[in-house]
Amino acid sequence: MRILQTLAGLLLPLTALAAKKPTEDRFSEFRTKSQAATPIKLNDDLYTQLTTAPRDYAVAVLLTALESRFGCQLCREFQPEWDLLARSWTKGTRIRFDFTMGAQNADTIHAWLSRHLPDGPHPRVVRPINWVRIISITTGVLGAITLFAVAAPYIIPILQNRNLWAAFSLIAVLLFTSGHMFNHIRKVPYVSGDGRGGISYFAGGFQNQFGLETQIVAAMYGVLAFAAISLALKVPRMADPKAQQIAVFVWGGIMLGMYSFLLSVFRLKNGGYPFWLPPF
Amino acid sequence: MAVAVGDQFLQGTTGRNTRGMLRVIILCTIAAAAVSSRLFSVIRFESIIHEFDPWFNFRATKYLVQHGFYSFWDWFDDRTWHPLGRVTGGTLYPGLMVTSGVIYHILRLLALPVDIRNICVLLAPGFSGLTALATYLFTSEMSDSPSAGLLAAAFMGITPGYISRSVAGSYDNEAIAIFLLVFTFYLWIKSLKNGSAMWGALTALFYGYMVSAWGGYVFITNLLPLHAFVLICMGRYSPRLYVSYTTWYALGTLASMQVPFVGFLPIRSSDHMAALGVFGLLQLVAFVEFIRYQLPSKQFQTLLRSLVLLIFVVAFGGLVLLTVSGTIAPWSGRFYSLWDTGYAKIHIPIIASVSEHQPTAWPAFFFDLNMLIWLFPAGVYMCFRSLKDEQVFIVIYAVLASYFAGVMVRLMLTLTPIVCVAAAMALSQILDTYLVAKSPSPQVQANGSAETVKNTASSMLPESLRSTRSPLVGIYSYTSKLTIVGSVTAYLLLFVLHCTWVTSNAYSSPSVVLASRSPDGSQHIIDDYREAYYWLRQNTPQDAKIMSWWDYGYQIGGMADRPTLVDNNTWNNTHIATVGKAMSSREEVSYPIMRQHEVDYVLIVFGGLLGYSGDDINKFLWMVRIAEGIWPEEVKERDFFTPRGEYRIDDQATPTMRNSLMYKMSYYNYNSLFPAGQAQDRVRGARLPAEGPQLSTIEEAFTSENWIIRIYKVKDLDNVGRDHASAMAFEKGNKKKRPSKRKGPRVLRVE
Repeated sequence: MRILQTLAGLLLPLTALAAKKPTEDRFSEFRTKSQAATPIKLNDDLYTQLTTAPRDYAVAVLLTALESRFGCQLCREFQPEWDLLARSWTKGTRIRFDFTMGAQNADTIHAWLSRHLPDGPHPRVVRPINWVRIISITTGVLGAITLFAVAAPYIIPILQNRNLWAAFSLIAVLLFTSGHMFNHIRKVPYVSGDGRGGISYFAGGFQNQFGLETQIVAAMYGVLAFAAISLALKVPRMADPKAQQIAVFVWGGIMLGMYSFLLSVFRLKNGGYPFWLPPF
Repeated sequence: MAVAVGDQFLQGTTGRNTRGMLRVIILCTIAAAAVSSRLFSVIRFESIIHEFDPWFNFRATKYLVQHGFYSFWDWFDDRTWHPLGRVTGGTLYPGLMVTSGVIYHILRLLALPVDIRNICVLLAPGFSGLTALATYLFTSEMSDSPSAGLLAAAFMGITPGYISRSVAGSYDNEAIAIFLLVFTFYLWIKSLKNGSAMWGALTALFYGYMVSAWGGYVFITNLLPLHAFVLICMGRYSPRLYVSYTTWYALGTLASMQVPFVGFLPIRSSDHMAALGVFGLLQLVAFVEFIRYQLPSKQFQTLLRSLVLLIFVVAFGGLVLLTVSGTIAPWSGRFYSLWDTGYAKIHIPIIASVSEHQPTAWPAFFFDLNMLIWLFPAGVYMCFRSLKDEQVFIVIYAVLASYFAGVMVRLMLTLTPIVCVAAAMALSQILDTYLVAKSPSPQVQANGSAETVKNTASSMLPESLRSTRSPLVGIYSYTSKLTIVGSVTAYLLLFVLHCTWVTSNAYSSPSVVLASRSPDGSQHIIDDYREAYYWLRQNTPQDAKIMSWWDYGYQIGGMADRPTLVDNNTWNNTHIATVGKAMSSREEVSYPIMRQHEVDYVLIVFGGLLGYSGDDINKFLWMVRIAEGIWPEEVKERDFFTPRGEYRIDDQATPTMRNSLMYKMSYYNYNSLFPAGQAQDRVRGARLPAEGPQLSTIEEAFTSENWIIRIYKVKDLDNVGRDHASAMAFEKGNKKKRPSKRKGPRVLRVE
């Protein structure tokens, strides 16, 4: 019981369904209270008042733990949404909502509450217009345009630089083909332990991957592509025969080694894969 | 002597003819390889249609061949989506069926009476040969190298990323769509290069064909405008661009509106607005260019330029306003979910539930493309060397398609052509450099270095890549040539082995027929699907309605020829949710639903005995989610999870789970196969409760050999008006009570 009291209870404004004299009084009392400061903080007094005999109204109570010593991240994240709901809601049941999906926004809770209430007018959630955001975006856009207009003589040569665009598109291609979007959508862990205190760099299984793993793979693809580019474009432009010979061997060796390593990593992911190349 | 003869063939006009001849032979060989590598499934199993969607396409094709084109166009199908029916002729992409119908009639005309099924089965491999040819043409436009096109064609022919959707029997829209995609792009590049209205019209024609064949045409609809837009931004506007783009847009839009399923979408949906916007922009730019040519005053030009910018911004704002107000339909859900990746999961569970709409992990890329995946960036980089219109196209296509392929496994298909082209460009560059027999002599080199200074001075243009600034010399030693050529050959051979292995192991299973290997290595065919569908066909009345999850709708329609409630078309979410609710509720709730929809039989897929993981219990959560989307009060996903958040089917399963119709149907009588208390589910690796579920409103009608398909008959109303549960209890009670009656104490009859 003490724990319940240390947890702060917060009340939503209430709905009166029937109208007996004393309860109506209580309802209007709480209503004015809630209009002054929503949501109402629940304390022992209020609790007794609310729970006395004729109780033909509904109260939504959120039991939460906002104090930092409880370390309830979810409670803190949800609080502003709950406040918002309280403000837009002036009528409302004592049921339990599962926070299995993480912190929710006011609209979900609104839908859930309206589902559990009898038919009747269910006030809509009115989200205040986020002026700060609109103004900051407008300022940002205008600022960017101005900056561009002022700095155009310096920026345009950079924008027209072919190497920059080449680097940009290569990075994009490498990022996407190494499964970055999978990480983004599935929110995979960056690395994970192997259960013996070490780090496992590669997730088991064909349909899984870690964040670091995709970066390693992207790096491998990058090295291989770079070796191919060097062999195709740079090496035939070397004027010194000796240096060229060495460059061919070095890039050829890097390509072979890296490809072989890539195949070995792939064998790790796909157990039945039968192909390999010499070093690894 | 022999050298002399060879020389004679390789010089002058004869040389050109010989090369052309060789090229034709090589292309034919590539096409043959492409076709034959897709025949694994026909050889291993038989000439059969695969998977799910192809069964509908096959059924539609049969309808087209039997009833003719016009009745196909107006086809109202009352044997699906019972009792709603489906306006099939107006809600499908008819390109595929019409193509095979035309082939069928041509063959008949040539007195070759080939069964329509065989045409359908072999259509995809046949078109893959054409795709290889289209890839050759497309690449030849991109690269000066004579070998790039051939390499690209060979890659396209055998790469698993394309084979996965085009093996014999996978009679799906993609079968012809990829050919059309590549060929449309080829025609676009061709028309852009020549500035010719004829090629532009041809582009529009094939674009129209593509629209009639596959929903993925939206990719072209947005890629071509993007290309034009980037070209304008780069200052590469030319009258050629104007002619080719406007020709394509005007004719292509008209062509696409001829398909009933598309109809007025090209002017009303956001997916197509980019094309319209760029069309307008091009008119503006062309107008300004024209004026500028006439009036070369500087102030006037600035005025004009700001005018263009203003009109563009106002028009863009107008488009946004129209979209917000709802005159223009917003982005279609499937397309929108590509940008906002979390959208589908929250709002369209049907899209999120399909496995091919999941994001792609990196092994899938390597599995489907092998070495091409790392040659791909190299090829894209090489496009930056001479950045002309067509190379810009490659770069845009590459970046965009890799993004899409990363978001959705299925779109790997659109990435594959560009990967093949780019990789072929990179590899042909290497081969062309290292396969030259002539070596530069050091003297020439001395000369060259003298020229170098001049060359670099002249080529100090800002437009050049870092790696191509110094002049080309060539390769000196034979050792380096041999090393590189040898290793590239080895990689290519490995690529071929990889492709064959992947095709044979991963992409050649019809999924209607399953194969397993016995411990001694012999193959065992599991044919439960067809067994069950033929049972339905032979033992049920022609109009018996079958309820099943939507995955099996097309197959039931195609193989069993029975009406279904929902199928893979998924056009009506509520109807699917109704089936989901019937499956996930208690019998007392499900029975009225089934009666209202006149369901006669219920078909489910159960893999517990065999360890077949694609069964309905594994898909069950999606049924629950979709039903919850419509009836959040009656079906709750949470109730199917244990308090600890686990999805269980053993004795820890929640009561909601154990009372759901799906669970009962799956495990009904299942423990009779095992010794008491030993019943085991091999997919989920769980031991089942000792007491199996009881059914009262439906009764088991058929169970296939390996228990993969189970069919239940929905009981008729009780004769005496009791509900089924009490009728069952009464019948059971009867059996029990009889002996007990006898045992009762005898009473002397007094009367």
